[in-house]
Amino acid sequence: MNIRTPLGQAALFLIGSCIIGFGSNLVRADKIPWIAPELAITETLDPTGKSNEPVLTAISLAQAKQLFDDGILFVDARDDAYYSAGHIQGAIKNAFLMELIFNIEDRQSKTDPIVVYCGDPGCGDSEDLAYDLQDSGYTKIYVFKGGWMEWSKAGYPSEAGQ
Amino acid sequence: MMRYFKVKVIFFFRLIVGIIFIYASWDKIAHPAEFAKAIGNYHAVPFGLENMMAMVLPWLELLVGICLIAGIMVDGAAIMSVVMNVVFIFAISQALARGISIECGCFSVTAEGGDKIGLETILRDIVYLTMSLVILNRQERRLEFFPKSI
Repeated sequence: MNIRTPLGQAALFLIGSCIIGFGSNLVRADKIPWIAPELAITETLDPTGKSNEPVLTAISLAQAKQLFDDGILFVDARDDAYYSAGHIQGAIKNAFLMELIFNIEDRQSKTDPIVVYCGDPGCGDSEDLAYDLQDSGYTKIYVFKGGWMEWSKAGYPSEAGQ
Repeated sequence: MMRYFKVKVIFFFRLIVGIIFIYASWDKIAHPAEFAKAIGNYHAVPFGLENMMAMVLPWLELLVGICLIAGIMVDGAAIMSVVMNVVFIFAISQALARGISIECGCFSVTAEGGDKIGLETILRDIVYLTMSLVILNRQERRLEFFPKSI
């Protein structure tokens, strides 16, 4: 690495900031983990407790069914074609975030619980949408990680079409 | 006369971009967890790597800012400034295109001090990008101390 050349200098900036950044994180009191943790599945549910503090929780199939039976609103984070082919009974879906927010606002307040799901445990769309909804002011959001795959396999209530 | 003017403009741009980078790095270095969350909100960094980015990026901004002002390795600092601004513009644009309304995380990452992303955030970064490109393509190398010449 020749630091008399512009690219050599740029590389030195990168290496230097990596050393200082990683090094300082090792010694500081408010250190953060190397990798951001994923959402962990929760043990308990409290859909009736209304909180102004944002809560984002991952839930299991059994917990999702319990919330479904309690009449909690489900939001489908998949593309239109998948939603039309089959979705959790009563789940809503909008292509654009603002449309979805207006749709939810027509039904409930921002402190009421919402369950968000997508295709399967590997898809990230439900988590992405959950963070978007949280940024938009929704305080109680459950992410059903198993999604449509687990729900349909279990034979729980579902419907097709728009 | 023109040459003298160019030297002044280049130094002025170095000063502006340098001060902005130092100012931008301050709050992020002080609050790494909040900055990692701000990066995560853009949904543009995979595999939870936003934490590593939150550790490195503020220090990169600080080093680039100091070196631009001090006249040390200005070429490398200008390259990194161009790269960072291109990345920022891309990250903000994709978030806006997806309809995500989030805090910018540009200068302040704590909840009370953040500003929302928007078209003006992109325009601001385009101005910084232009200044960085002017610095990178400069002919005059006055007020630069290391390396003296390539």
